[in-house]
Amino acid sequence: MTLEIIVMVKQVPDKQEVVIDPVTMNLNRSLTRNVTNSADENALEAALRIKDKTGANVTVVSMGPPQAETTMIECLARGADRAILASDRFFGGADTYPTGLTIAATISKIGKFDIIFAGEESSDSSTGHVGPGVAEFLDIDQITYASNVEYEDGHVIADRELEGGTEIVKVPLPVLVTVLLNSNTPRMQTLRRKIDATRKGIEMWDHDKIGLQPEWVGVRGSPTIVRKMNPIREKERAAKKIEVRNIKELVDELYEKNILKLEEE
Amino acid sequence: MAGIKFATPAAKPDEYRNVFVFLETREDKLIKPALEMIGVGKKIADKVGEKLYCVLLGKDIKKEADEAASYGCDVILGAESPDLGTYRTLPYSRIISDFVKEEKPNIFLIPATRNGRDLASRIAVSCEAGVTADCTELDIEQDTRILSANRPTYGESMLAEILCKKHRPQMATARPGIFPVPEKVKSPKGEIRIKKANIDPSLLKKEVLEFRKKNTVDLTDSKVVVSGGMGLGKPEGFGILKELAGEIGGVVGSSRPAVDMGWITRDHQVGQTGQTVRPRLYIAAGISGKIQHIMGMKNSETILSINTDPGAEILKYSDYVINADLYEAIPALINSIREKKKSPAAAAKK
Ligand SMILES: Cc1cc2nc3c(=O)[nH]c(=O)nc-3n(C[C@H](O)[C@H](O)[C@H](O)COP(=O)(O)OP(=O)(O)OC[C@H]3O[C@@H](n4cnc5c(N)ncnc54)[C@H](O)[C@@H]3O)c2cc1C
Repeated sequence: MTLEIIVMVKQVPDKQEVVIDPVTMNLNRSLTRNVTNSADENALEAALRIKDKTGANVTVVSMGPPQAETTMIECLARGADRAILASDRFFGGADTYPTGLTIAATISKIGKFDIIFAGEESSDSSTGHVGPGVAEFLDIDQITYASNVEYEDGHVIADRELEGGTEIVKVPLPVLVTVLLNSNTPRMQTLRRKIDATRKGIEMWDHDKIGLQPEWVGVRGSPTIVRKMNPIREKERAAKKIEVRNIKELVDELYEKNILKLEEE
Repeated sequence: MAGIKFATPAAKPDEYRNVFVFLETREDKLIKPALEMIGVGKKIADKVGEKLYCVLLGKDIKKEADEAASYGCDVILGAESPDLGTYRTLPYSRIISDFVKEEKPNIFLIPATRNGRDLASRIAVSCEAGVTADCTELDIEQDTRILSANRPTYGESMLAEILCKKHRPQMATARPGIFPVPEKVKSPKGEIRIKKANIDPSLLKKEVLEFRKKNTVDLTDSKVVVSGGMGLGKPEGFGILKELAGEIGGVVGSSRPAVDMGWITRDHQVGQTGQTVRPRLYIAAGISGKIQHIMGMKNSETILSINTDPGAEILKYSDYVINADLYEAIPALINSIREKKKSPAAAAKK
């Protein structure tokens, strides 16, 4: 039996080039280059390593606008076997709930899955909530913040990097795994595969094909809304200049104002 | 596809009352981000005259429940089982989702730790709730009881205010190190309700084979943090920072590249991918002030920077600036502090 692996990927604005429209306070997408979310490249690499060992089938899935096709082609050129982009004008403006719903429904529609990989979070919204949401919709277990992901005899064994240390877990299939940024070195695309992928193209699925009602998804299916965007105003600080020869006065002032306290040392 | 369901708005938001917080534990103690949730949860509950419920799971949680009560929780909702000793996604999310469905809280706050994030959106999907991730400001509108959940976005340049109008509970995960730990209350009177949990074996298939504990310094507990960056020029530079920190009861922090260079261990790192600190005094020596570092220290009460570059970005985040070589400035600082401590005023205080 061939293992079926799904990798969730997202196209995001390039961090280096984020341009905010000063009037609307929104991201100016026309001025921003799009790239594949970095942690998703690590997720794909984790999947491809299992493919190298077991001959698994790797399908990449994304929800996004049609231009996300470039990300899908990139994934095929690195070694994925199939690419499905859930794309529909009804999907726009989704928060994490309908995003998880749309991806989970797409995966259900594909049919069989053994391991689902995702990046730990996307660099543009940084929630880390979509992966676990998909796992809940599909009613399967999950391993988040994973590095060193191994497949062994019907199980995934991985390290979870937590605040206080590393937890090593073992979970039977099916399971969803979110992979840490920089936890492996993603392989390069090959020219041969790139040409094949471009020629073959990717599959685009709309809400109808996936079996979702328009009011379940996108902005209409989102429990949360953004009310406002405000520039973050930092506290004004005096930047009072102190010469090295006047450090004694600075120290006196710090103790005077209780910024340093004698009883503490 | 049994689990595929869209988010149905709550039929009667008025039926949802009170504030839930999830109390994460580590080695039988409430972790600091959990205490921070009690603080902000209590403020929100008080503002609309509702109760603060603390959700607590574990093998034996009497001690933690008392601790939660000592910080002013009104109700501690607990579930105990030998199978709940270590956090695992499925049993935790199932039990907590059941608590939510029974008690119908208006708001549910979870610390945005790794396990907190692992848990939050599972509960949100299971309960068809809205959730806002990684909030740094939380408030409630008194008349509507709608949660104002604010999170930084676009590389921390903007704050997005996010509302969840029709779905309940209104959930949020909150960034650790932002909300203050509350004071203990004088006479705790929280009601402790702990039940024995019966867990379906199908939820217990994940095995935690091992936990490799890291020895870590908690920078967030210290009133003074003395951090160094690439301006130290060499690993030994951390020696004089340690000396300075020792004189003023502080701990040593660092920028990320100093960690990447192997000059100091990762647990000392301050910033976006390190710890968030808000001490009474933050000293930044040889740190340029890039946004990823600033994110981790900008809420410090007082900031003193030492930098040879008069145009360094750190200046605009500084209350005091010593524009000099740190190898000159820091020994001078140490000397003056030692002198100060020898003074008669100091002797009188001791
Ligand atoms: C995704 C991502 C996450 C990141 N996370 C973090 C994070 O969590 N924390 C973090 O710190 N960084 C983080 N960074 C890196 C960050 O962008 C900066 O590169 C980093 O903060 C710079 O460190 P620095 O100030 O020590 O070094 P530099 O920028 O090289 O600055 C050194 C400073 O020392 C001064 N100096 C030199 N010699 C002396 C001297 N003798 N005396 C006094 N001053 C001197 C110089 O004028 C200069 O201002 C992250 C980056 C990315 C992309």
